[in-house]
Amino acid sequence: MAIEGQDAAATGKPDNSRFNVEVAGGLFLIGLAIVGFIDTYSLKFGQMSGVGPGLMPRVTALIVGAFGMLLVAQGVRTPGQRLQGWSLRGLTFVVGAVILFGASIRPFGLAIAGPIAILLAALADPNTRLKEAVPFAIVLTIACIVLFKVVLRLPIPLAPFALGY
Amino acid sequence: MFDLLDKLALGFQTCLEVVWMIDPWFGLAIPVPLNLLLCFIGCLIGTLIGVLPGVGPIATIAILLPITYSLPPVGSLIMLAGIYYGAQYGGSTTAILVNIPGEATSVVTTLDGHQMARQGRAGAALAIAAIGSFIAGTIATLVIAAIGQPMTRVAQLFGPADYFALMVLGLMFAVILAQGSVPKAIAMIVLGILLSTVGSDLETGEERLTFGFSEISDGIDFAVIAMGLFGFAEILKNLESPEQRDVVKSQIGSLMPTRDDMRQSLAPIFRGTLVGSVLGILPGNGAVLGPFASYTLEKKLAADPSRFGKGAIEGVAGPESANNAGAQTAFIPLLTLGIPPNAVMALMLGAMTLKGIIPGPEVITKQPQLFWGMITSMWIGNAMLLIINLPLIGLWVRLLQVPYRLLFPAIVLFCCIGIYSINNNPLDVYLTALFAVFGYALMKFGFEPAPLLLGFVLGRLMEEKLRQALSISRGNFATFIQEPLSASLLAATVLLVLVAALPSIQRGREKVFVE
Repeated sequence: MAIEGQDAAATGKPDNSRFNVEVAGGLFLIGLAIVGFIDTYSLKFGQMSGVGPGLMPRVTALIVGAFGMLLVAQGVRTPGQRLQGWSLRGLTFVVGAVILFGASIRPFGLAIAGPIAILLAALADPNTRLKEAVPFAIVLTIACIVLFKVVLRLPIPLAPFALGY
Repeated sequence: MFDLLDKLALGFQTCLEVVWMIDPWFGLAIPVPLNLLLCFIGCLIGTLIGVLPGVGPIATIAILLPITYSLPPVGSLIMLAGIYYGAQYGGSTTAILVNIPGEATSVVTTLDGHQMARQGRAGAALAIAAIGSFIAGTIATLVIAAIGQPMTRVAQLFGPADYFALMVLGLMFAVILAQGSVPKAIAMIVLGILLSTVGSDLETGEERLTFGFSEISDGIDFAVIAMGLFGFAEILKNLESPEQRDVVKSQIGSLMPTRDDMRQSLAPIFRGTLVGSVLGILPGNGAVLGPFASYTLEKKLAADPSRFGKGAIEGVAGPESANNAGAQTAFIPLLTLGIPPNAVMALMLGAMTLKGIIPGPEVITKQPQLFWGMITSMWIGNAMLLIINLPLIGLWVRLLQVPYRLLFPAIVLFCCIGIYSINNNPLDVYLTALFAVFGYALMKFGFEPAPLLLGFVLGRLMEEKLRQALSISRGNFATFIQEPLSASLLAATVLLVLVAALPSIQRGREKVFVE
């Protein structure tokens, strides 16, 4: 879905796509509803004496799906704003930084995982300068260690390879 | 009346309580007024995030939840509350000086506040905003104290069916007060309820929607959703639209409002407080609507409405009082009924549950020091905010110069540490990354994430009450219309839907949000 964001504005095309935000949002909801409905299909809906575990998820999934269809119908009938492009740069680096933090926190601890997450996330912004970002990452990590390890004593690993915790 | 004073005295006692703490270096016992200190820290952090555009109270409270793990319950709730109303103060500073609303509730303040700043009267605007907020905060504190007990008594009459009906009504209010499209808001609330069913079933223990991951069989942690949707997804959104900061370079001017300013502002402050207090109790966007309503009201009442938008001090005094009053009265439904009216209160509910406190009418009787301590801390906090804000204004202005390219990586790291610390489990971190992408997609499709979080938190409660009600009535759905209380609440819901469908109201809704 890497349609470039500003193309509609840049090319001066009128914003009246039939595959617009509403339709896309509606399809998204329908997809979620289907997943929710299928996964809870085997659960009991309920019997005379009460409600089974399947009632709430299935009823809500149905409602979500119904609103999805409503949005699709509305969107197709009245062409509107085109779906904007996703900024892949931001997604890659910010989400990547979070995942890398999750992967490195246990083996390497905050002392390593911290600066890596900051630097990787910082790359999401084209204005980032390494000269500024590297010292910032170090200072911020130290500040976090003081706050979370020393003051608040959270059990987050610091540098297990060197300190053992 | 004396009873109330008694209770407020208990609150003050709780706030001023001294705890003996052992310092980590020398092992000395030091007396620390812990709750007072936490109140101050909360207000300080609140002002900070209020000042910094792009960092909202929802994300901040979510980030700070793990910090409160090692704190006592009363203290941590006092701190989290301080963050919320503190952010309302800070938001006005950015609105006036930079023309960027630091918070959604200070959007209207940019209109006249920034104009005043351009005319060299930033000092007066900031001072009026702070004084208005203080007066509003004081009155709102008294309102909570006065309404709290009677509301709790009413709440104790509520059976499961009535609770369920009340939540349906509340969610309907939230839909109507939400920004943008009604079907989209409903879809988000229901999707939130669907997400709340993830995990093992309350009664049978069967796994639902866990897709084989036993780690989420306790349900998705709401901090994971909150940080994904409000921490990370917000960053992704902000990165796409580079902000322009138009910091007022000229002198801030005297911080003392003139006698004329005070005279013009006094009535708007009280009117704003009233409007804000009432709207703040309403579910959903109520607290955000307060300032809009107050601005419209002041403009209508003004002898010369054309002054508005060109630096009318009433346009700062009214809305700023309204947003602070609303931020505080929003606690009423949470503290008395155990039902959070908006996303921030949903987080507060989460924080209470983490501490083993079940919010609801029992809190006031079983944990009076928590209830009254929180209420009096709000008044103390408001006094602190006056001190934090006015003399330190120069510091906050300098903070505005911290560029976003440094700010957002710091938020990323704080969030990561916070999520990991919930269960010391990297899986939570991955799950949050997933919700970040999910939240980004929602934004791209034009959905608001706040109703989803509200639905998510209320979902579990709703399912519980629904099933309780139905097992009492032996599966008879008619119980919801046979019980008088629940029947009238559901009737009110239907009425609300009908009223909202009226074309004139729909136009009104659009107008409010366009303005």
